[in-house]
Amino acid sequence: MEQLRGAVIGFGKLGLLHASLINGLQGSRLVAVVESSPLIKRVLQQQFPHVKVYSDVSELLNEGGVDLAVVATPTGSHCEIGRQLIVAGVPLLIEKPLSLNAAQATPLIAALSQRWLPNMVGYMGRYLDTFRYAKSLMMNQVLGPVRMIRSSMYIEQLLKPGEGWRYDPAISGGGVLITQNSHVLDKLRWLFGEIRVVSGHTSRVVSELVEDHAHAYFEFVSGAVGYLDASWSARHYRTPTISIHAQGDNGTLDVTDDEVRLYLDTNVASFNSGWTRWRTPELYKPVEIDVGGPQYTRQMLDFIDAVRRGSPVESDITSGLRTQELVDGVYQSAQQAGSPVLIPV
Amino acid sequence: MSVNILPSIVLGHNQFFGVDHLSSQRGAERAAYFSDIANVMQLLHVAKQHGAGGVMLSTHPRAIAICEQIRRDRDLQRDFSVFPLLPYAQKYVTRANEIGLVRAATSTFTEASLRDRVGLGGDFLKMVFRRDPLDLVRSLIRLELRIFRELSVPVVFLHDAISDLLLSISAPKVFELYDTTLRRRFGSRMGIATKNLPLLVDRFTQWGLELPIILTHVNAAGFHVNPNIAACEALLHRSDLEVMAMGTLASGFLAPAEAFAYTARFPAVKSVVIGASSEEHIVTSFLSVLEARR
Repeated sequence: MEQLRGAVIGFGKLGLLHASLINGLQGSRLVAVVESSPLIKRVLQQQFPHVKVYSDVSELLNEGGVDLAVVATPTGSHCEIGRQLIVAGVPLLIEKPLSLNAAQATPLIAALSQRWLPNMVGYMGRYLDTFRYAKSLMMNQVLGPVRMIRSSMYIEQLLKPGEGWRYDPAISGGGVLITQNSHVLDKLRWLFGEIRVVSGHTSRVVSELVEDHAHAYFEFVSGAVGYLDASWSARHYRTPTISIHAQGDNGTLDVTDDEVRLYLDTNVASFNSGWTRWRTPELYKPVEIDVGGPQYTRQMLDFIDAVRRGSPVESDITSGLRTQELVDGVYQSAQQAGSPVLIPV
Repeated sequence: MSVNILPSIVLGHNQFFGVDHLSSQRGAERAAYFSDIANVMQLLHVAKQHGAGGVMLSTHPRAIAICEQIRRDRDLQRDFSVFPLLPYAQKYVTRANEIGLVRAATSTFTEASLRDRVGLGGDFLKMVFRRDPLDLVRSLIRLELRIFRELSVPVVFLHDAISDLLLSISAPKVFELYDTTLRRRFGSRMGIATKNLPLLVDRFTQWGLELPIILTHVNAAGFHVNPNIAACEALLHRSDLEVMAMGTLASGFLAPAEAFAYTARFPAVKSVVIGASSEEHIVTSFLSVLEARR
């Protein structure tokens, strides 16, 4: 099978990870990088002479010769770069979140409706073993109708004002809600269906321009209600720690990065009543190459497969836009002292 | 082939720094207990008594105090090595989230003391004036390792969060530089941690580089064993490979007796690194290793 030629746009932490995966997987190879930092460009030219390095996306597109591209630049530039790729006919994986806000994505969505191409938004949390397993439980409807959902994400990342683009809302779109918690919002939608009403509150403790804490209340289309509590200034959380708890008519479900716990009143399909616990070692499925976690490999393999087949993926731009609308809804509500905001469904 | 410099048992370090791949909550509780350095030192002595020939230590900020205590403890130092694992990857990931990748790397210098920077001598000047990225890498390695001075450091492992990226993207010059810096500056051998054992062996063979000492997951559950158990087992049967097995208990999922009976099957496994947070843990695990080797 011929290897697909991949380009990575933006060579920061995630750009490096995607570039490494594209280069290591059998089905693809890295042929181009777009990056503006002189130091990083020097490293790339010195270490990878076979990889073309460009300063600008238009240079890459003029030269052509790529079958897929990953957009891993700061959030504010995702949509315009994505639009250019679509116009040029290059399938694309855009890192999450999709955009600064849903309105910013309008030209991108318009380009996609003119010319559909395989496209993905990098909500890699869907590819974590525990959350994938939770999804399979929900597909089996083990809980019956879900009534209440509690979710949280904490990390000790910021105990003094941060520096760089992530703390400039003009480039990042906001703070802890849009950056790390767009993952949680995406997971909530994926596991429990769309949300139709949100109410939010955000607060700044250490940052000047973006929120460090976010709290939100949700009403799902299904009728379930739930909330999110999030902070990147939470001591004792070494890594991003996500936890989701759901109560249904037939039991409860708890999911973290480490384990899945299920409690059922009555047996459903092959799942017995009472407590069952699955931990990561037993849910683990090996991958062709692991760089930074198997979830990134599975995501990239899904994307490469979609590009080969010309087929859609679950976490595409349309889905990314839905998550973006939720983010916008929480921010809007927070500005209106927590008034409920209707989400277009 | 060099003489075996790997003790058959090395104490792991995750418990000291709150790393627990099965439960973040339990990890945080252990980090709280080991924030008292006396509890760390007591555990190191107990581990040595029961047969550990060294301890793995990442360059976590708290490792500075642990190294300081080991330097003062002549009894402990005798026949007891430190196996650095660098860098403490989460530090760079969190820092890169905060200030970006380039500044996360360069801030290590701006935050280093003047003495440490002067200590780099010519390497620091080269880095500043030649603007060659490899000079930056060399200086980073030296700065990361400064906390281990005067300790017995036979092997320095590169964390799999970095090495797997470099293996996959194919960066032989960085590995060569790492090897030379360790040999010349520290008299240590190159160790590489990986979650992709076959990829590492393939790449090093293809690059014509001597195989490093390899720190990789060896467990019958196949946890973090990529691309599959069979491909890794085939390599572990090679006696010319020098492997320190980690993740042997699959984060507490496997019982010690079963886990170490499995690692003992492989001639490549010269050493196992075992995380333990109490004497009881140490006794159970270490005894299982010794029994499996009989």
